[in-house]
Amino acid sequence: MSVFFDLAIGTLTQGLIYALLSYGVYITYKILDFPDLTVDGSFPLGAAVTAVLLTHGFDPYLTLPVALAIGATAGLITGLIHVKLGVRDLLAGIVTMTALFSINLQIAGSNLIVERAVDTIFTARPTMAVIGALPLIYRKLIISLVMAVVFKLLLDSYLKTKNGLLLRAVGDNSLLVTTLAEDKGRLKIIGLVISNALAALAGAVVCHEQRSFSSTMGTGQVVFGLATVIIGITLFKKLGFVKGTTAVMIGSILYKASIQVAISLGLPANLLKFVTAALFLMILVVGSRQKGGLKDA
Amino acid sequence: MRRTALIIVALASVMLFASGCGGKVPTIGISQYGEHASLDNCRKGFLQGLTDAGLVEDKDYKVDYQNAGFDNAVATQIAQNFSSKGVALMCAIATPSATACFAAAEDKDIPVVFTAITDPVKAKLDKGNVTGTSDKLPVEAQLDLIRRLQPDADTIGIIYTLSEPNSVSSIAEYQAKAAAFGFAIEAIGVTQQSEVSLATDAMIAKGVDCLSNLTDNNVVCVLPSVLEKTREAGIPVYGSEVEQVKIGCVAAAGIDYFELGRQTGAIAARILKKEAKASEIPYETISEYGIYINSAALAEFAMEIPPDMSDKAIEAGN
Repeated sequence: MSVFFDLAIGTLTQGLIYALLSYGVYITYKILDFPDLTVDGSFPLGAAVTAVLLTHGFDPYLTLPVALAIGATAGLITGLIHVKLGVRDLLAGIVTMTALFSINLQIAGSNLIVERAVDTIFTARPTMAVIGALPLIYRKLIISLVMAVVFKLLLDSYLKTKNGLLLRAVGDNSLLVTTLAEDKGRLKIIGLVISNALAALAGAVVCHEQRSFSSTMGTGQVVFGLATVIIGITLFKKLGFVKGTTAVMIGSILYKASIQVAISLGLPANLLKFVTAALFLMILVVGSRQKGGLKDA
Repeated sequence: MRRTALIIVALASVMLFASGCGGKVPTIGISQYGEHASLDNCRKGFLQGLTDAGLVEDKDYKVDYQNAGFDNAVATQIAQNFSSKGVALMCAIATPSATACFAAAEDKDIPVVFTAITDPVKAKLDKGNVTGTSDKLPVEAQLDLIRRLQPDADTIGIIYTLSEPNSVSSIAEYQAKAAAFGFAIEAIGVTQQSEVSLATDAMIAKGVDCLSNLTDNNVVCVLPSVLEKTREAGIPVYGSEVEQVKIGCVAAAGIDYFELGRQTGAIAARILKKEAKASEIPYETISEYGIYINSAALAEFAMEIPPDMSDKAIEAGN
């Protein structure tokens, strides 16, 4: 049993950490209807900055706001390229993402490892003072849970403000925004800033958790984010009381759980991605049946 | 909602079921970063090393082999899986897998034995319950080999991936040592596999006298297409290990990953037999390198192995 608990805790932790990135993709893809590829660059950007700061003895907790700020800057750049220079949404993201690959390497020098002697948010003094009695995997779970919930609530309350409502309108009915005499471009930039700040935060936490930055760690993160948003939204489409952010958080956990199940099944190693894909399909089919069944009835 | 709960229960029960399938025989979790010939050879050699040490599979140990498909996030989850199952030992092949295993093993202090890492000190894998083997290239021997096969050559071109720390540190070593052999190094860094072809064109345009390969995963994966281009341009390519010579590099002063894996397996066997702890065993660098040649490829460039080298050279071509 304890093996199962360990596995479940590890998987939950991964799902919750990466949920931060999913929130970001949720904002751009689902709310703004903006396919933003910057995330593949801003996620490792957060990790690169964190790795450098940690190895230079920076306070582990302070790396988080720094990552948020620098990720926000990346989003701002994509936004400016799109809104001010008139570059198409997809391409604007590609431009920033491509540039970030070099910038990330420039920041970190090369791939960077944070050695065990250096404290991370999971071993820092404030953490140890509160939950120091627990083993490391529980500390990782608790901190990632707290972060996933805090940022979910922050995001939920932002989306209820006037600014947040306008942001939602940009994706749903951009004409409305214009008729309200609001600047659509400014709202898009705000969305991109929030989204990439969250992606960089996710990268920072992954860096704390994995004690490493690797310049290729961003590859495929947009795809991951899109998958979790779609899995989450599909599953909870009918349930109006479940917030989008909650749905994508669960989507992220299910995604990581699918991979862990594929690993645990012990099939030939090369089948890993295939099994993962089959599990996604299963989740999506079962999830959408729910809706179709009701409609047909 | 019911169906969502169903999905969660289904996924959880598979994990529960799979996690129950452990016996008393200690399990070795092998986490390989991706699939290519050199890394596969490491794994095969590793298993051979265990056998050589008198350990019998299914009686003395079981193997749980996982492959991350060059995906760091998957490597993380594989390592977590091993840690949760409480494997007796993790064998990590290539740096990202080793980093992930070492991070996941932190809590339970499971020994990690790595292989195919060029610079374990830089990867911070030289302290703690971790040991293994480094695949640091014999750069001087390679430069010497090239000088003897191409006495008039001036420039050696090297294509490498910016994000691979192994390659970056090898490039630095090449640049530091090339002058002593009268060479200049022309290095082109790429960020992904699709750029290797462009870099090859650039190398040909720059008129380098030969190319020398590192153990760069990206470049090695598309080596056949590089060789096709260089053959047309009349530029010989030197490998860094036996597999590369097999597929058409003219020669290599390099390592045999199977042997490296075997050396790694011997270390793992000592840990499994409780003869020593991983923290007590310093990491090892392969002491013996071989001169591998591909006679057919050499003949294409009308090159010959000097007589005093020929008895040491091992034919790797067909």
